[in-house]
Amino acid sequence: MSKKIWLIILFIVLALIAAFIVWRYTFRKSETTAASMKTDFYLDASTLLREFENNEDSANYRYLDKVIVVTGTVESVTSDSLSVSLYLKETDAISGVICSFDRDALDPVTIQAGTTVKVKGICTGYLMDVVINKCSLE
Amino acid sequence: MKVKILFVVLSVIFQLTQAQKLVCKTGHIWFYSHTPMENIEAHNKQAVSILDPSTGDMQFSLLIKAFEFKIALMQVHFNENYMESDKFPKASFKGKITNPDKVNFKKDGVYEVEVFGDLTIHNITKPVTAKGTIEVKGASLTARSKFVVTPHDYDIAIPSIVEEKIAKVIEVNVDATYTAN
Repeated sequence: MSKKIWLIILFIVLALIAAFIVWRYTFRKSETTAASMKTDFYLDASTLLREFENNEDSANYRYLDKVIVVTGTVESVTSDSLSVSLYLKETDAISGVICSFDRDALDPVTIQAGTTVKVKGICTGYLMDVVINKCSLE
Repeated sequence: MKVKILFVVLSVIFQLTQAQKLVCKTGHIWFYSHTPMENIEAHNKQAVSILDPSTGDMQFSLLIKAFEFKIALMQVHFNENYMESDKFPKASFKGKITNPDKVNFKKDGVYEVEVFGDLTIHNITKPVTAKGTIEVKGASLTARSKFVVTPHDYDIAIPSIVEEKIAKVIEVNVDATYTAN
């Protein structure tokens, strides 16, 4: 009799733990940067850009949603109340790679135009430039 | 690549004969879905837009994967189940301001405008009209608008299980600041 009750209690506790784990997973918050994720590619900004310029469909297939560490020269830094962007572009190029940081992930005054940076983020696609989101400095 | 460079050079020469087109690369577009069951909100801060003050032509382009949600699972469902963003990575708008002569692009002020054009979401294109404002402040110009989109019109299938959690009509907001190209 006593053993049966203990088994029922054990079952209920395990069920509650399982429910808690599922609840935590379902409502987990999005990361603001990709810093804790495993890197899929290490690339130069110009190489990444060229792949999108040459064949957007195959570049999308290869890079969308992937974690990329991009190395490039900062052409400009822009920021507003929501985010900070580093524009990685070669002087003679018409396009570049936009690296978007959460406002708290990067202090814009610490980055100077002309410096080379390594940025880790998730590739979301190509508009006028390649766009990398959830960025953090490497 | 050479063709692209030639195209760019010709466009630049052509543009020098026109008024400067205005470009925005960090347009903020966000949407709300309100239901008694759940409120959903997502923000995209990398919308690209081009506005031609001389013709009133206005274009927007954005990446679906750049919409950010607070809850990670919502972003996954949005991309994989509803928008199918691996197949259709972008949404776009191509249209014009219906009353561009009402806007004095050289004088500071806030002007009421109406925009009309084609909105493409999930690879479906529908004509839309939206009201908004254009604020001129020195060399910069900000376009703002609020309008509604019905997911069903764009073949966005909401499974019956979550029907109660997603509004039939979604409120979309736009805030884009342009600078001379």
